[in-house]
Amino acid sequence: MLHLATQIVINGLASSLVYILMALGFTLIFGIMRIVNFAHGELYMVASFLVYFFFGSLGWNYYLVVILAAVSVGLFGAGLERVLLRPFIGRELNGMIMALAISMSLQSAAFILFGPDEHSVPRPISGVIQLGAIVVPLDRLAVGIITLLILGVFYLFMRYSKLGLAMRAVVQDEEIASIHGVRPKVIHPLAFGLGSMLAGFAGALMAPIYTIYPYMGYQPMLKAFIVVILGGLGSIPGAVLGGVVLGLTESVFATLISTTIATMISFGIIILILLVKPTGLLGRPSR
Amino acid sequence: MKSVVISVAVAAVLAGLPFLLRKPFLTHVGIMIALYITLALSMNLMLRIGQISFAHGAFMGLGAYGSALLMMRLGLPFPAAFLGAALGVTVVAWLVGLIFLRIKGVYFVLLTFSFNAFVVLLFIEWVSIFGGSNGLANVPPPGWFGYQIQSRNEFYLLAFGLAIFAYSSVRAIYRSELGAVITSLDENEALTRSLGIDSRQYRLLTFCFSAFLAALAGALYGHYLTLVTPDDYGFSVSVNLVVMNVIGGVAHPIGVVLGAFLLVILPEFLRDAKQYQGLLYGILLTVFLMFMPEGLYGAMQRLRRKKEACLSG
Repeated sequence: MLHLATQIVINGLASSLVYILMALGFTLIFGIMRIVNFAHGELYMVASFLVYFFFGSLGWNYYLVVILAAVSVGLFGAGLERVLLRPFIGRELNGMIMALAISMSLQSAAFILFGPDEHSVPRPISGVIQLGAIVVPLDRLAVGIITLLILGVFYLFMRYSKLGLAMRAVVQDEEIASIHGVRPKVIHPLAFGLGSMLAGFAGALMAPIYTIYPYMGYQPMLKAFIVVILGGLGSIPGAVLGGVVLGLTESVFATLISTTIATMISFGIIILILLVKPTGLLGRPSR
Repeated sequence: MKSVVISVAVAAVLAGLPFLLRKPFLTHVGIMIALYITLALSMNLMLRIGQISFAHGAFMGLGAYGSALLMMRLGLPFPAAFLGAALGVTVVAWLVGLIFLRIKGVYFVLLTFSFNAFVVLLFIEWVSIFGGSNGLANVPPPGWFGYQIQSRNEFYLLAFGLAIFAYSSVRAIYRSELGAVITSLDENEALTRSLGIDSRQYRLLTFCFSAFLAALAGALYGHYLTLVTPDDYGFSVSVNLVVMNVIGGVAHPIGVVLGAFLLVILPEFLRDAKQYQGLLYGILLTVFLMFMPEGLYGAMQRLRRKKEACLSG
């Protein structure tokens, strides 16, 4: 019984970390730009395809490719902000539709380039660690450790750097932040780039674990949405809390019943939380 | 009076078209256009209150499954199944709307998105009722009082009638005081509320009627295909409806009709290159949002105004 519980917690935390990575970028972009990034799943997908190409086909070093993919997706995101999304700052509805347009175009482009088939890349690490009855796959452990590292660096950046402070200020109140010399023209592409980079890391790290295909971004985006609703939109600690809650609940019900039932139950939990607290666990009422 | 005569004449010509042309494929396209006009109009109601609903695929699907199941399992006649399913979906929309519409804005979008995913999973998982991934086959054709629809042309008339009902009801809403309230919810909610109007009730009402229309179209879609599968009612349904609205123009129902018409026809030309459809939609959407945010209807209005200015000055 204790073994089972430990196993459930370990599995749950393993998924939590990836959910947090996705939700953090999504919530950062929303908090700063008030844009619902419907292309977030496609940024994940693009990073996976970069891994498929550079690691799977060309055989470059996997860890190098992860960093390359995440940074490229980050720069790509900053570019998207500059060219396509900047005109829609402050117009939530049209900004959202523009993000949808980007999402559709990227999916279709991936389909044209790579076809509808599911691709896979070899796992850079394989095998399991066995501690009594508890089994931890090594590749998931590696993903977990790298994700924790990324989250740690992200935390330090947001907490102690000037740009991080500026971003947190914009999340709270853009007008007052700009009075203090925080320039939206710098902060917006930075936030979008950073958020995209986090999605890129998630996509690149999960590429060897799941299959790679043009519509793969849907599931992680759905998870990010659920996490963000749970934790409160625009709240960074909320994304972390929401990710842990979702990962653990899913793990419990996936182990006891099935994965699809687990996803359906996570929807039920959203409804329950909303009935009690409409703005999510750590959310503030919207302006 | 004159406009009524013109409308009736146009409707009569459109209704008679398949009987004159006798091209089964064109009739099929006509049926799809009529169904998508209804669906796009139902999305237009949501956009009017400044909300995108991503649950419209689910409402359409619940309508399709509902109507088919009421006929197949309970042996209800078509009119009862058709309306009963749509009313059932309206109740579902009311219940989720009570929770989803508690706070304005982005939460609604994310919630409707997850709701749609939930409903599709329900269709797949609850095999004993919804038939799993294979869905329901051999859905009976519509019919009433011993009469049964068999030909495509008759089906076209039914779909066309639904589109007319959707168009005239949406039009009537926008012209009424209710329409003024609905539009004001997007523009200046605080002001509307200061007049003593309970904005949440109006938003909920709009959401319910929008879901009702989507369910009617979905039910007919299921009877037309004689097959209801979960894949048809995913997230992309709502996205396509948003694309139709943006390209046609959100401001007037006729723009929405135009958008639905164009975006049903366009993919038919791209038959051999289906993968380019998404790219085309994406690029069209980008271009319209950047340069013609009022859509084709808005562009036509601007052109007409320019012409009038030229003539008078």
